[in-house]
Amino acid sequence: MSDPTTRPGSDEEWAALLTQLRHQPEVQPQPFFYARVQARLHARRGAPRAGLPGWLRRPAYAALLATLILAVSGDGAALRAAPAPGHPGPPRARTP
Amino acid sequence: MAYSLPLLATLAAPPAPGGSAADAELVAQLQQGSEAAFRTLVARFQGRVYRTAFSLLRSAEDAEDVAQEVFVEVHQTIGRFRGEAALSTWLYQLATSRALQHRRRQTTRKRFAFFTSLLGFTNQVLHDVPDHAHPQALLEGTQQLQQLQRHIGRLPAQQQVAFTLRYEQELRYEEIAAVLGTSVAAVESLLFRARHTLRQHLQSPTRHV
Repeated sequence: MSDPTTRPGSDEEWAALLTQLRHQPEVQPQPFFYARVQARLHARRGAPRAGLPGWLRRPAYAALLATLILAVSGDGAALRAAPAPGHPGPPRARTP
Repeated sequence: MAYSLPLLATLAAPPAPGGSAADAELVAQLQQGSEAAFRTLVARFQGRVYRTAFSLLRSAEDAEDVAQEVFVEVHQTIGRFRGEAALSTWLYQLATSRALQHRRRQTTRKRFAFFTSLLGFTNQVLHDVPDHAHPQALLEGTQQLQQLQRHIGRLPAQQQVAFTLRYEQELRYEEIAAVLGTSVAAVESLLFRARHTLRQHLQSPTRHV
């Protein structure tokens, strides 16, 4: 048989549970709440807005992102092999 | 972002009994930059804002954070408050929306931390957000109340806000409708569905947590 104390099946039990929820002791912020709000306000005024998202300001993520950008966007010019000896190489512009 | 600034909403909230004239005066002083008025505002509403956030987050630390954020936002945007809604309605709107936002961020942060821990970027220990049961529930060992609070936390956001404002903050249907920017009939529907879901969960023998 089910335990009625853990299963509010009837309307009375449900109503009692809601009453219990309603009549909980009131929670309050810790003392000096206003001082903490003021401190946050001052901090907000003083701190410049960060231009970068928080995760990007971590060195590991920034390095990873930089590596990815280099790997993806490089045009390969720096990695082009030097011409072999005897090879004429790229044509040069003629001078008059 | 799904949040819009609630103070711009055109709401027709019934004024709090005996509080409307005093609130209007307070808003006028706040808009003139009165420090004393801000102190009065915080003193008058800090309990309600904090309790609303606590009801939705069940964490003293998070409720404190959200409550502070609400008052900072009030201080920064009071100049745009047009008085179309009651001051208390606006504060409840801010408290509920910021609390839900806070919870979403926590969930995202937790998922991100889990992901980075898989990649080995951090040695941070992952743990669940502490479940701060209400003091009375702890003292009396009322499992039912704890279960109910857990299930309230799993309701859809609108239902959760409506249920919390009704049964914990004891707001009238009209006030809840103003906070949610909806009709009284919609609030009745939200509460009906919330009660139905909660009773189902609490009656189910397989739902013992």
